[in-house]
Amino acid sequence: MRESMLILILGMGLVTFLPRFIPMAFLSRWIFPEKVKVGLSYFPVAILSAIVFPTFFTDGNQVEIQFQYLLAALPVFLFAWKVKSLWGSVLLGMAVYWLLGFIL
Amino acid sequence: MNKSGFREGVGDALPIVLGYLPVGMTFGILARKAGLTSFEVGFMSLFVYAGASQFLAIEMISMGIPPFSIILATFFINLRHILMSSNFSIYLRNIRLPILGLLSAQMTDESYAVAISKLPGVTSRAPYLLGLQMTSQLAWVGGSVAGAFFSSLTEGTGWGLPFALPALFICLLVLQIRNAHHFWVMVIAGVCSVFFKWAIAGNWYILLTALLASGMGMMIERVWRKNS
Repeated sequence: MRESMLILILGMGLVTFLPRFIPMAFLSRWIFPEKVKVGLSYFPVAILSAIVFPTFFTDGNQVEIQFQYLLAALPVFLFAWKVKSLWGSVLLGMAVYWLLGFIL
Repeated sequence: MNKSGFREGVGDALPIVLGYLPVGMTFGILARKAGLTSFEVGFMSLFVYAGASQFLAIEMISMGIPPFSIILATFFINLRHILMSSNFSIYLRNIRLPILGLLSAQMTDESYAVAISKLPGVTSRAPYLLGLQMTSQLAWVGGSVAGAFFSSLTEGTGWGLPFALPALFICLLVLQIRNAHHFWVMVIAGVCSVFFKWAIAGNWYILLTALLASGMGMMIERVWRKNS
């Protein structure tokens, strides 16, 4: 295995392990401050949005609408919202994206 | 070791297995496309074992982002486990630290969701959780390794594969939208991320957006609570 990959995986493993382990081991009686709880509750939405939206509207560092991505995304948003299926969303997205490739 | 508790856990893991196998395979395929070897794929699934972070990592690897930034992003994504782990700890008293270490290392959103409804009624909790989580992780590691091998056989091109990752993240995002606050945080984060990506060189836009938008979420919540 490449050294950089080993460092990456062990590092990722460590920072994944600590938030899972430390509270279970030490903070079992601690009540979280409401502020921290509220802030953390928005983290997943914020970070996932930051991953998703630039895919549709940027190309490198340029702002540019990516029509194939954007048009494929709309049915996936709707499907995920109604059906809540991870695997179904992936398959639908791939199918629509693939079909759009013939039109655009 | 209580055998019946362990078996009950294994049985309850089956819905998770059904979910993890295909997503694990998707991960294996995409990780190979990003340049990881099959061994590295299996090693990452075994040692990191965090779906969203692993997908984000291979996306960042293929962008050429250095390990430190990827590790930092992983840390921020997985901070949410602090709350779940604290919740688990209520039910896991008087368990030796090494076993607690193993149980916590295998905790995921899904195993948490299944276990938290069952743990209060289970008598042998550690064996139950071990059975549930070991089965789940086996599916994740097995699925990703199978995907990695499958990918090297087919060398999959086209078939909408470039959109597998965006579609997965769209679904993960939509599943997180549980109220109007979340929706507005998504809108704010969407606008901010495009702006930051345009305005700032490098790939700091994800972390900047995450901090800013979740901060805005706190403010929105405070203002709306005052007005209601």
